[in-house]
Amino acid sequence: MNEARKRPKSRWYHSLTWRLLLLFWALLFFTASSGYFLAVWNRAAPEPKPVAEPIRRTLQPLLEDPATFLSLQPGRLLAGDYRVAARVLESGQQKLMLDDFLGERYSQTLLRFLNYDKTMQMPLDDRLLIGPFELGGNKVLITRPLQAQEWQDQAKAERELTRARAWTILSGSLVIAILLGIWLIRPIRRLSAATREIAEGSAEPHLAKLPQRRDEIGELARSLAQTAKDLATSRDAQRRLLSDVSHELRSPMARMQVALDLTDAAADDRHMQQLRRDTERLNSIIERILSLSKLENGLVNLNREDVHVGELVTQLVDDIHYANAELGQRLQQHDGDWPILQTDPELLRMILENLVRNALHYTEGPVELDYRSVGNQHRIAIRDHGQGVAPELLEKLFEPFYRGDPSRTHKSGVGLGLALSQRAATVLGGELSAFNRDEGGLEVVLLLPHY
Amino acid sequence: MHSVLLIDDDHEMSAMLTELFKRESVELSVVDDGVKGLDAALNGDYELILLDVMLPGIDGMQLLQRLRQQHRDTAVLMLTARGDDDDRVMGLELGADDYLPKPFNPRELIARVRALLRRTANTTMQAEKLVAGGFELDPAKAEVSCDGQSLVITPTEFDILRCLMQQAGQMVSKDQLSVAALGRKMGPFDRSLDVHISNIRKKLPSKPERIQTVRGRGYRLTTQV
Repeated sequence: MNEARKRPKSRWYHSLTWRLLLLFWALLFFTASSGYFLAVWNRAAPEPKPVAEPIRRTLQPLLEDPATFLSLQPGRLLAGDYRVAARVLESGQQKLMLDDFLGERYSQTLLRFLNYDKTMQMPLDDRLLIGPFELGGNKVLITRPLQAQEWQDQAKAERELTRARAWTILSGSLVIAILLGIWLIRPIRRLSAATREIAEGSAEPHLAKLPQRRDEIGELARSLAQTAKDLATSRDAQRRLLSDVSHELRSPMARMQVALDLTDAAADDRHMQQLRRDTERLNSIIERILSLSKLENGLVNLNREDVHVGELVTQLVDDIHYANAELGQRLQQHDGDWPILQTDPELLRMILENLVRNALHYTEGPVELDYRSVGNQHRIAIRDHGQGVAPELLEKLFEPFYRGDPSRTHKSGVGLGLALSQRAATVLGGELSAFNRDEGGLEVVLLLPHY
Repeated sequence: MHSVLLIDDDHEMSAMLTELFKRESVELSVVDDGVKGLDAALNGDYELILLDVMLPGIDGMQLLQRLRQQHRDTAVLMLTARGDDDDRVMGLELGADDYLPKPFNPRELIARVRALLRRTANTTMQAEKLVAGGFELDPAKAEVSCDGQSLVITPTEFDILRCLMQQAGQMVSKDQLSVAALGRKMGPFDRSLDVHISNIRKKLPSKPERIQTVRGRGYRLTTQV
């Protein structure tokens, strides 16, 4: 009921599918039409400007005599390159006369020009149109071919204009693209951050206002929130079960140990010894199974801190040496630099201890601990000088209760060490793998990411 | 005969432990419930309390908290579930002297109990008064004061302080402190000592920092106050 209430009502127009369809349609339409307008805009006629003073000074004296003025027919050469383009008489039979060629193509422009109050000039294709010159109510327009310099100026102005427009369109579309990107990417980023939070065990990932959205992303956010809650619930149940199971298993174990201790010292015979050893063994198996189960179910609380791996390894070697000098002497520690890692020291120590003890128990020769930095990973290797493992069994090494050599059951453990180490490596964000070395012997490699 | 209080609801276990400790000339009184346990701890005269975490009534943690709130500094050994790091750190923070994960090796339990009992006894034997760094420590009366203000501290904290005061101004290694106060060497990732030190610091006036940390190695009681 609660979920139904929280879920906002959604109509077809809230659907992301429709929105994206409409949005992309609108944008494509906008792009196409802006391209079209850009083309039209670029080809639009240039604006008329007041006539340049040298031109006026050349033409004005020629147009001050009324007789000459009246004799000006379109097409007539006035002076130099200047030619008459159009004429309007105040009276007479043919009031308006246009140059044949210009009149055909630019009659609108010519008529507009004749109506100007002031004398203007404007490029018209390969010519310059000048006018109107007025004398007693009669008007003429003059034209001449563009000069080389004017050609260049015009071309330059056009180029600049085109560039400015292109920049405007480019930056405008970039801004739109960025806004669109943010609009699309932000919720996705939030969602992926939330998934990471869930993976780290959060029951309530930080989703901001995403669940209130009415579109598909809102739906995704709501189901993600629900998943996180379900996961947390089942994790809690698992944790409780594990804690109960371990309590129920441990209590009788503890009593057994005390009872064995209380049993009369006189009964300290072969069978009692066996019983004691097996109790210890059972105890350690239970501990390891519980640890494995904790690791596999993500119930381990990581305490990440700066770990001086060199110190940790030295301490491990010392401890093994202290407990058994013969084993300790077989250990050879990498003498270069060891890194400082941001990781959980107890888990790291457990992994390394398991690997080292495994190597020591299963082989006879020296066991080497080596470190290298490879790409963006730390590579810690444990090498032995034994017979290695059959290639088809390498993968099986990490399965719980698998033992490489069943005949040595008593010397080795119960076959949980490597499985535990691998799960722990995964929990630390790394991985564990095993290879047969070309020179013989097995190499188990722990890869941990740089943080 | 030493008298020790065991608060645990596992009757079969308690019966066996009583028998086991009798051989070691320790008299074990058993209470199987948190509320009754607290009552016994407050009113009885015990040298040591063995405290299980999972208890009916109030749990071991709450019991310990209330006991320390009443300013009772009886030594407490917590029996925690193994692998539950939160429990063990929390127990120490609440003022337990030591902890032992269950299931324990009975000999280990006896050794820990003996170590704690010996220290409680020691406290009253060496009557030499110590003065250093603003602290005054009187082993005969099992009293400590800082700048004249008397402190309520547990036997373990007492031993740590005494060890630091005996070598005031010098660095005392964690191993040395651990042996002196807990009767054992530090295990890997053993934070017990750090928690005890932080508990002591909390009981002192906040400034100046009298107990200095020598990172990764040990602690030093400063004499310049």
